[in-house]
Amino acid sequence: MRLVTAVVKPFKLDEVKAALESFGVQGMTVSEVQGYGRQRGHTEVYRGAEYTVAFVPKVRVEVLVEDADARDVIDVIAKSAQTGSIGDGKVWSTPVDDVVRVRTGERGVEALS
Amino acid sequence: MRLVTAIVKPFKLDDVKSALEAVGVQGLTVSEVQGFGRQRGHTEVYRGAEYTVDFVPKVRIEVLVDDADAGAVLDAVIMAAQTGSIGDGKVWSTPVDEVVRVRTGERGTEAL
Repeated sequence: MRLVTAVVKPFKLDEVKAALESFGVQGMTVSEVQGYGRQRGHTEVYRGAEYTVAFVPKVRVEVLVEDADARDVIDVIAKSAQTGSIGDGKVWSTPVDDVVRVRTGERGVEALS
Repeated sequence: MRLVTAIVKPFKLDDVKSALEAVGVQGLTVSEVQGFGRQRGHTEVYRGAEYTVDFVPKVRIEVLVDDADAGAVLDAVIMAAQTGSIGDGKVWSTPVDEVVRVRTGERGTEAL
């Protein structure tokens, strides 16, 4: 199993969610995070003074998937979250040893679907 | 590639950020979390009553790095986040199979 994690622009969350649902993903976890990448945040002008917004608001989307689906899920997220402008974010996957559905105690792939 | 995750004291965030920039880290993600370690939170007295603060506020910092840089990044976070008192947090790294930069579709180390 794999944990696919994406850090994307907040306004793209609905599109990512819809794309994942149409792919067949049954659940996901979303959290509000902040971060920056190569653009090192951006500067904003407020009342004539320039401020550096070091940490830009993002959403983190986490999905547990079967090994065979990991690459497709990454692509689905990357496509749906893309705007083409800087700060679109990243998607990555990490190996997961064990998953348990808390309600039933089911383990492994059974706990995913 | 590896994902380095750190749970540290919130007021140390700026120090950690500067230390990571100094070792060449180009980006990171920060979230507000709560947790406890061996001290099991702490107790606070408010208007004569004692409250147990189970979950102490922390920040979680995540950085995607090349395998070769993981050790240096870990050390940079530890040095920057250390106060020597209880609750300094933890830093760890996990393997990452694949990384995609959303804007361009670049994969692997190019996406870092």
